[in-house]
Amino acid sequence: MGMAQSGPSKKIANSLVTASCAGVLAVYIAGYTRTQHAADRFAAQVAERRPVVHDPSMPPIPEPFHSREPVRPREIEHAKPLPVAVAPQAAEVVPDDQPAVTVAVPTPSPEPSPLPEPAPVAAEPKVEPPAPIPPPAPKWKDGTYTGWGYSRHGNIEASVVIESGRIASAIISQCRTRYSCSVIDRLPPQVAQRQSPDVDYVSGATQSADAFYGAVVAALDKAK
Amino acid sequence: MGTLITIQVVRACGEADEAISRAFGWFHAIEECCSRFDQRSELVRLTAQAGRPVPVSAILFEAVKFALLVAEESGGAFDPTVGRRMQARGFDKEHRTGERIRAVSGPDDGASYRDVLLDPDRRTIALRRPLTLDLGAVAKGLAVDTAARELEMFTDFAIDAGGDLYLGGSNEQGAGWSVGIRHPRRENELITSLRVSDQAVCTSGDYERRGHILDPRSAAPANAVASATVVASRAMLADALATAAFVLGPREGLRLLNRAGVEGLIVTPDLERYETRGLRHAA
Repeated sequence: MGMAQSGPSKKIANSLVTASCAGVLAVYIAGYTRTQHAADRFAAQVAERRPVVHDPSMPPIPEPFHSREPVRPREIEHAKPLPVAVAPQAAEVVPDDQPAVTVAVPTPSPEPSPLPEPAPVAAEPKVEPPAPIPPPAPKWKDGTYTGWGYSRHGNIEASVVIESGRIASAIISQCRTRYSCSVIDRLPPQVAQRQSPDVDYVSGATQSADAFYGAVVAALDKAK
Repeated sequence: MGTLITIQVVRACGEADEAISRAFGWFHAIEECCSRFDQRSELVRLTAQAGRPVPVSAILFEAVKFALLVAEESGGAFDPTVGRRMQARGFDKEHRTGERIRAVSGPDDGASYRDVLLDPDRRTIALRRPLTLDLGAVAKGLAVDTAARELEMFTDFAIDAGGDLYLGGSNEQGAGWSVGIRHPRRENELITSLRVSDQAVCTSGDYERRGHILDPRSAAPANAVASATVVASRAMLADALATAAFVLGPREGLRLLNRAGVEGLIVTPDLERYETRGLRHAA
C-alpha cells in the first residue's frame, strides 16, 4: 500500500520494511549453521546413495522426469513465474499418473526427477539463455528479497539485492538440497551480470540449477 | 520471554517436526541474547560495559540496530533505552518467575537511543553512558520472524507467541487466516477480525498490565490509546510500530503507520477506532 505521498515519507517506508527484512535475514543466516546440523546429517545419509559421477566419455543418459505440465522452454517460464509454491509436502500428493517423458536434453521442469540425479550429460549449457540484454521494462524496488525454489532433491533459497532498480547481487542464502550447492556456485553471479534469473543450465545439476532459477524468480517477483 | 508459543503447520509432513524444532530453537536463542531479566544474557552483559565498544552476536546487533532505526523514524516514541525508566517505575520483575532484576545504580540521566552507537564493520555496540536496553518488542518479533523463515517451505503455517502472530499462506480451509483482535475493554470479546496471509499481526494493549508502555520522551505512561494493532510483513516491524503507535496516540500513530507502509488499527480508551485504509477485515 504505502500511502506515502511525498519523497521523504516514501523513503521512511522503504527503510523500515527493508530494514526489518534485512535484519531477520542477517540473523537467520548467521544462526543457520547452528540449526543446520540435523539437516546436514540427513544430507550425509542420502549422499551415500548418490550415483557415481557420470563419465563424460559415455553417451548421454536421457533423464526421465515426471511433469504435471507440458515441457516448456525456460523463456516461456520466465514470462510467468514458476509454480514455486510446490512445497515438499504438496509434492507428495501430486498424482503421478502422467506419462513419463524422455528427453535427451536437460529441460527445466517444475517437477524434478524422482530418481537420484543421473548426471545427464555432455556439453555444459545445452540451451544458452538469451544474450545478457537487460530487460528495459522490469523495474525492481530496492531492497533485499528472498525466494524459495523447489526440487525433489531439496530446496534452495536465493537472496537478491536490488539497488537503484537493478540486481546488485544474488546469493544462495539457504541450500537444503541433498547435494552441496557448490555444484552451482557459478550461477549466482550470473543473475547480476545478466540482470535476469536466466542462469546457465548445469549438466549433472539441472535440478539444483532449476531450483535456484525458481528461487530467483520468486525473489524478483517480490521486488516488483 | 514468559510467553506460550504455538506453532501450527497445515498439512505437516515428515520434515515438519525438524523444522518446527528449529523454529522453537530460535525463541530460546533470541531470549538468551536479548532478555533484560536474565543476568547471564548477552544484553545484560552488554549494558554492564558502558563506555566502550563491545563485540556482540548477530542476533543482538540486528535487534539493536532495528530498534534504533524505529526509534529514529518514530521521533523517539519508540526507544529501546526506556528500560531503565521502566525499572524506576517498578517494571523490574520477570513475570514468569517473579524474579526481580538487579537495581541499577545511578540516577536516570536522560539517556536516549542516541547514546547507543553501532559499528557494523566490527559488529560492536557501544553505550555512551550507563543505560538499560529493553528489546522486548523487537526481540519477540525477531524470534517470530526467524521461526517463520524456518517454516517458509511449508507455505501454510501459523506462529503465535503471546499475541505476536505470523500467519503464512492459508488456513486449513484454504482461505487467508482470520485473526481476532481483542476488545480492549471487554474481556472475551473481539473488536474485529482481520484477514491475513503471509503477514505478522501484533497488538500493544493497555489491558494486560495497565501503564506498561511508557512514553520514552516524557517517561510517563502512554494513555491516549487502549490498543494498537499493526499488520506488517515482519513481526519485528509490526511489534515495534504497534508500541510506537501506542505511544504516539491515535492520529500521529496512524500517520506513522501510513508512512511506514503497514496496516493497522488503533483504538482509544473511548473506543474510537482509527485504521489504515488497506486493513482487511474478515467477513
